[in-house]
Amino acid sequence: MFRYYLQLGFRSLRRNPVLTLLMVITLSVGVAASMSTYTVLHMMSGDPIPNKSDRLFVPQIDTGNMIGYTAGEEPDDQLSYPDTQRLLASGQGVRRTAIFGINSAITPERADMAPLLTDGGATTSDFFAMFEVPFRYGNPWHAEDDARNSDVIVLSRATSEKLFGDVDPVGRELKLGDASYRVVGVLGEWEPLPRYYRIINGNGGAFAGSDDFFIPFSAAVRHEKRNSGNNNCSGDAPAAGYAGWIASDCTWIQFWFEGASADDQFVIKAWLDNYAAEQLRLGWLKRPVNTRLRNTMQWLKHLEVVGRDSRIQAWLAFGFLLVCLVNTVGLLLAKFSARAGEVGVRRALGATRREIFHQYLIEASVVGLVGAALGLALSFAGLWLISKQSGAMAAVARMDWTMLLATVLLSVLASLIAGFLPTWRACQVRPALQLKSQ
Amino acid sequence: MEIRPIVSALLRNKTGALLIAAQIALTLAIVSNAAYIIRDRVAVSSRPSGIDDESRIFNITVGSIDKPDDAIAQQKREEQLLAALPGVESVASSNQVPLGQSGWNMSLFLDKAQTESSAHMAFYFTPGPLVKTLGLKLIEGRDLIEADVDEIDMGNDNRLGHVAVISQALARKLFPGGESATGEHVFVGNAADAPEYEIVGVVERLQSPWSQHGDDGEYSLITAIRPIESYANYIVRTAPGQVDRVMRDAEAALTRPGSDRQVIDKQTMTETREQRYRADSAMVWMLVTVTVLLLLVTASGIVGMATLWVNQRRKQIGVRRALGARRFDILRYFLTENLLISSAGIALGCVLALALNQLLVSRMELARLPLGYLGGGSLALWLLGVVAVYGPAWRAAVISPAIATRSA
Repeated sequence: MFRYYLQLGFRSLRRNPVLTLLMVITLSVGVAASMSTYTVLHMMSGDPIPNKSDRLFVPQIDTGNMIGYTAGEEPDDQLSYPDTQRLLASGQGVRRTAIFGINSAITPERADMAPLLTDGGATTSDFFAMFEVPFRYGNPWHAEDDARNSDVIVLSRATSEKLFGDVDPVGRELKLGDASYRVVGVLGEWEPLPRYYRIINGNGGAFAGSDDFFIPFSAAVRHEKRNSGNNNCSGDAPAAGYAGWIASDCTWIQFWFEGASADDQFVIKAWLDNYAAEQLRLGWLKRPVNTRLRNTMQWLKHLEVVGRDSRIQAWLAFGFLLVCLVNTVGLLLAKFSARAGEVGVRRALGATRREIFHQYLIEASVVGLVGAALGLALSFAGLWLISKQSGAMAAVARMDWTMLLATVLLSVLASLIAGFLPTWRACQVRPALQLKSQ
Repeated sequence: MEIRPIVSALLRNKTGALLIAAQIALTLAIVSNAAYIIRDRVAVSSRPSGIDDESRIFNITVGSIDKPDDAIAQQKREEQLLAALPGVESVASSNQVPLGQSGWNMSLFLDKAQTESSAHMAFYFTPGPLVKTLGLKLIEGRDLIEADVDEIDMGNDNRLGHVAVISQALARKLFPGGESATGEHVFVGNAADAPEYEIVGVVERLQSPWSQHGDDGEYSLITAIRPIESYANYIVRTAPGQVDRVMRDAEAALTRPGSDRQVIDKQTMTETREQRYRADSAMVWMLVTVTVLLLLVTASGIVGMATLWVNQRRKQIGVRRALGARRFDILRYFLTENLLISSAGIALGCVLALALNQLLVSRMELARLPLGYLGGGSLALWLLGVVAVYGPAWRAAVISPAIATRSA
């Protein structure tokens, strides 16, 4: 009977074509609005490194002075250079890394090419293992390179292809700023969404932009590279020159711990509190101990990478879907109640209420299926419109398989919910009354 | 009037009426909140920046890989080069652009002994006629002049200028008593060696690069510095309608063969404004679309339901007509019925709108909905209901009394 009812359902689409079209459009527009805005939300709030997001931790230490001090205030999101050095050497967790952004021009070997203006990161060798960065050619530099301030560089795939073409450039030299660096590796496709490893950046934010190169942290400091991005200094101005700046309490470096398990969050947090207490005693820190240690998802939530506007839009879009649902209930009610006579005849001929229920619910879900097809098409159109807003939106306004499936499911579910009341009403038809009036 | 029979008819067939009322309630809740957000975003993104005729302004940032030995001479050469281009009215280099979204944010102190800063403000510095180039309105004191300019090797020199022109909003914040700011002294930071500035003039308005929503979006200070840097950002005012051409010419002139300069960034002020408020305009368009669709869907729901009712009651209408009811009575019946349902929906909708607003206030830090938006939304939905029901009601009114005599 299922197939027969399905057939009937499709055939009945052609009965009251205007009413049916109205239902399909209403349903699909509602589904498209909510699914395209929800897709953006889903992509924004995704876990960028699901297998270890609960054991990658970001520390925060309150480095301000006592001027304008409020107890329990959120410490700065980045660390100072002296703290970074001590945390790197702490031995806490299984790996540690620090990163800051650099703006620099790369001069290619070929004289006929203009220098490239690039944004990259200065970090330590553990960075690549911690964030599971794929390599197309070569390897990360080694811990010894960090210790020896080696002038080595890892390029993004796009930068490497711009400079050297589609060949393995490992071992070749290039000029970054005014110093020469040896290429040790080229990254594979690596576009974590959001760019969680360096959310605070001056080139694109959480969802757009990329790092064109990575060089050792120690080499960047030796070449006196200043960071591109935020640099917060408390009341006392740092002493003049680069040495004065890095010795100051200005915060400009992002730091990560990798724990052996999620439980290490407590261990490292305890160590961090201890560290802050000791630095307070030594006079480096001025404020009472005030630290944070967040895992990846807590960190993303803290930095509010999911835009408030995107959430408002998704909420209102689901409200819109609700109105569309109520509307569809009304329209289905109109459609089904026009067929009370038909129901009466079937019931009189022996069909049970259950049979009638099946038939009409299947008919409702046929409307849902057609709505799903149209809704899917409209969702893609909606996402296309959203992606036109900005580079960041283009990165997140992409439908993945989960969302595709969710869209189809939502359409059918919506039509089933919408069909329930009208179907139930159709079942209540009393055959005797219908037959008499005809 | 005939309200009682309408109500008792409605009570006998509640489902459809309840659905329509629910739909109107939800629509009102969403539309009134959406309208408020739209109004708010439009107001925010149309605030004036203080710049006179933004369509004539652009900025271009050029840089060299190595810091040139003659950075200052190079900047002066480039300023002259730009000023000599046809269509250029004024040129000034500046560390940042209003609405540019990145720049210097500093704490200002009236007295170094203070522990809390007097204001956080946007810190502009320029060696040239920035006030004139942006077309800012000087309302007090004087503009910065050549003799005010300090040449500073940024990063290796802790000096940071010594005279300042500030915005009126900042002057009011610093001197709430209304006394003149000109001649007063302020400090950036409160450290022992914090730079001190003499305020020499006040401009009517200058937004910060971030153009924050509150008064602080207009807290700005301009000082006279020529920075010794490997890059420079030039702001250019052009003759009307020539901004795109002059920007192309400027790029060609600055990067002509033999120069080691590269263009890091270039943007017309119109583009800068668009970029600053891109999220807001996207939000506005999204909400306008949802609002229009919502009204269409609700109208179609009302039309659909009214058509159904008319069809179900053809015979009764015929009987009424046969018993002497005029067409106008039938029309009035359906219009009144619709008004009753709409009113119930609107009453519920007002409650829902306030609840939704409460949710947005508590979870999204939105402002509270002014009641005027509820009134406006209610009126719009009443009208929508009347317009939507008029068609089906008219078709009911033209039903012939003869139908009463037929049997099915």
